[in-house]
Amino acid sequence: MGAGKASDEVRSARPAFCLGLKVVGHEPDKEEVEDLTKEFLAESQEGLERMELCLTELEKRPDDGELVAEIFRAVHTIKGTTGFLGLGRLEKLAHAGESLLGELRDGKLAVSTELVNGLLELMDGLRRILQTIEATGTEGERSSDNDDALLAHLAELKVGGGELRANVDPASLPQGSAQPAPPAVAPGVAAAAGPSMQDKTLRIDVEVLNRMMNLVGELVLTRNQILRCSPGAGNFPELARKLNSVTAELRENVMQARMQPVGYLFRKFPRMVRDLAAMCRRQVRIEFEGQETGLDKSLLEAVRDPLTHAVRNAVDHGIEPPEERAKAGKPAEGVVRMRAYHQSGSVVIEVSDDGAGISTQRVLAKAMERGLVTPEQAASMPQREALQLIFVSGFSTAKQVTSISGRGMGMDVVRTNVEKVGGSVELESQLGSGTTVRMRVPLTLAIVPALVLQSGGQSFALPQNALVELVYVPQREAEQTVERMGTTELYRLREGLLPLVWLDRLLGLEQSADTAKLGFYIAVVESEGCRYGLVVDDLKAPEEIVVKPLSSELREIGVFSGATVLGNGTLALILDVAATGARAGVHPVAEELKLAGAERAQAETAQRELAQIEMESSMVIYETGESGSAEDGEGGRMAMPLSAVERIETVPLRDIEYAGGRAVLQYRGELIPLEDDGNVLHSLAKAEATASAGDAAKEGATATVLICLRPEAHGVRRVGMVVRRVLDVSAGRLLAAHAAACEQQLAMVKDRVTTVHRGFARQAGKPQTAILKEVA
Amino acid sequence: MRSAEGIGANAGDTLSICSLHVGSGLFGIDTRQIREVLGSTAPRRVPLAPPYIAGVLPYRGDVLTTVCFRALLGLEKDSKTNCVLVFDNEENEERFGLMVDGIGGVIAVEPGTLEANPSGLDARSQELFDGAYKLPSGLMVRLDPQRLRPSRLAESGLFGGESGPIGRLKQERQGEQR
Repeated sequence: MGAGKASDEVRSARPAFCLGLKVVGHEPDKEEVEDLTKEFLAESQEGLERMELCLTELEKRPDDGELVAEIFRAVHTIKGTTGFLGLGRLEKLAHAGESLLGELRDGKLAVSTELVNGLLELMDGLRRILQTIEATGTEGERSSDNDDALLAHLAELKVGGGELRANVDPASLPQGSAQPAPPAVAPGVAAAAGPSMQDKTLRIDVEVLNRMMNLVGELVLTRNQILRCSPGAGNFPELARKLNSVTAELRENVMQARMQPVGYLFRKFPRMVRDLAAMCRRQVRIEFEGQETGLDKSLLEAVRDPLTHAVRNAVDHGIEPPEERAKAGKPAEGVVRMRAYHQSGSVVIEVSDDGAGISTQRVLAKAMERGLVTPEQAASMPQREALQLIFVSGFSTAKQVTSISGRGMGMDVVRTNVEKVGGSVELESQLGSGTTVRMRVPLTLAIVPALVLQSGGQSFALPQNALVELVYVPQREAEQTVERMGTTELYRLREGLLPLVWLDRLLGLEQSADTAKLGFYIAVVESEGCRYGLVVDDLKAPEEIVVKPLSSELREIGVFSGATVLGNGTLALILDVAATGARAGVHPVAEELKLAGAERAQAETAQRELAQIEMESSMVIYETGESGSAEDGEGGRMAMPLSAVERIETVPLRDIEYAGGRAVLQYRGELIPLEDDGNVLHSLAKAEATASAGDAAKEGATATVLICLRPEAHGVRRVGMVVRRVLDVSAGRLLAAHAAACEQQLAMVKDRVTTVHRGFARQAGKPQTAILKEVA
Repeated sequence: MRSAEGIGANAGDTLSICSLHVGSGLFGIDTRQIREVLGSTAPRRVPLAPPYIAGVLPYRGDVLTTVCFRALLGLEKDSKTNCVLVFDNEENEERFGLMVDGIGGVIAVEPGTLEANPSGLDARSQELFDGAYKLPSGLMVRLDPQRLRPSRLAESGLFGGESGPIGRLKQERQGEQR
């Protein structure tokens, strides 16, 4: 045999351990064995997972002694405990594996695909027995439960160094020889079957646990002090503060303990991808990114199955066979990339492949075949929407059903599972270059900062992350601020229009009489691209709330995402902002909102604003020179887009200063140049001089200045236009440049030619003509 | 009645039933099925919830959905009603509460006095009641908490609800009227 030295030592060490127990005279009773078994199962599962990872690594780095040692340790630990627990079958198998690994460790065997396959089979064998133990409490006594074939295979490997089996097709290997083993995808399937022991246990750093215990101790002490505290005692505020900080710290700690790196979830995939690739005859490499991203344990379990589905799909449907890839000019080896990262309070896990992508044509064809869409719908369906059809239950575009995927279940399962924990799934696909499945799950379900508000005499909690701003509307202004468009009520928030949703009306609550006296608040909320103002009676303090799930009947209402107990002991329902908006019918307004948003952006950059004056826009019509002056008959009638005019100021003439011969004006702490096309300043100064000579009136003459925003190469510049007087503001329409247009930009106002001030058309050097329509 | 008790005979088989008052009726639930009785509580109303939902209560760190038995019987809601019985839902370990007018006491009854629902009962009552005990003082309707689960009530569709499309439409109308 020539087993490794270490295993010999272990064999001798084990009886001593058992003996030790016997000497103390402590026969483990049934309950104790059960506990030990549970612990053993969780530990072994973890060991096997590590082993799996190492084995796939080993194939790439066969000379890494550290990996072999790690695998050896995993098998060895299992073997060590089995004897003690009286698990003979497991022990036998583990022993066989251990001696094989001993050979490998001692360098008597070389790493080969056959050997790795053999070891993976061993691992599956061990895992199967562990599962049987977990399910039935025994190792399985049925005749099918024997490992002779596997044992023989392992022995064979040990003797022959794998050479004997060199002629076997690698693709069929994971299946095992005469094994009653399930197909190679079994690990994934088994994981999906139900929570195993491992899912129910959690490894916590003892340090974290100690800290938690300390905090609990402090919590108890604080409670004692508070109990002893007489009402109105002076130190009460201090105690309350202490309680607050202890609670916060304890919470932080518990949350931390629940956080698990996503990498823990990724561990099983290298093996899965390896086996799947062999079965589908693909060459696939798996890459990970962001394994350290932390995610709440319960959520981690929730995304396990969806991820398995997604990876399976990526390998089977996504990545093409090597020949096809070569034809498409891609490397023969496909890549499945799993990436995890934090994004605004949620964790995003992506599974992307560089495969063929999803053909929307095929999706639509299939959808039509199944009667999900009509041909007309299909023709006009945008690509993104068409891709969403994949999430419909029982939908699969696979040309043929394989044993791995393509049975038409998968994507709908993915979506259901992720949505169950409040997440979402997105699908992106580029035909020919790959598909990405993006799952977004909340970081934690437990505690969120929220604003407590009141409507119709009831308290509601609004998650802070959906809240944009708050507006108070006093009663006397309520009538003017709320404007109506059809049945929709709107509020003018700065430049945009905000649809209003009255919470009490929406929920059918009684309207409280106080509202009439005190006015109301508008909580501007935004969620899932839908923005609206939620009208409530009153705002309470912001609170960190503990989210409690509602029963399914109440979840169905759709408006509430949960409930929470407030500081005063009462319950408050947590509003689901997106669903509330949808219920109130804000969705159709979403388009309008986009426009409103554009308007807002427009105000910020005059550049864009001016690009729009081509269309319907208001114009300021003004006069420059003396009306009826000889130089131009129409008194220099000019037009300027209203949107370019910031303010119309009346400036005392003496405030206008001259720098280097140019008129400038100090305007709100800024020096702006003045343009005086009609020589207004000059004539005004002349008029003033004669006037002041006549009667010594103190009040100086004033000039009218249009403060304008002029687009320039580097942003927008403020300039002042000195005008004689402003005539009118009129709606008009600028037309495209006219052939007859000369240097000046012309417009027609009241059937007369009007010049549009230069520099305010869309582009310099591209004169434009505007036709201003007279406003009745 | 006497004879029935006589036949039931076996003294060891007596059941302890908790009697409840709702409206003018007397109801009974096997004490073994009751987890806890909460006195004097006012559940927090949930807007848009089906009418038979009295509201939610904080209970042992969870939110307890409470069914209003008066509403199930088609009685007016009474602000005084405030006794809540807590049950464990066997199927998915989801607890729920039942709001009744008041708790009477624990009565020992012979299983033999239980009579199945008569055939003439209307659909709603068929759904809610689980037979009746013939007590000397009158009938005590037996209730099976598992039949009163909110999820089951929702499935039966007999007790109305605003979650369907019709309900939503109704809500919208109300909104417009205001």
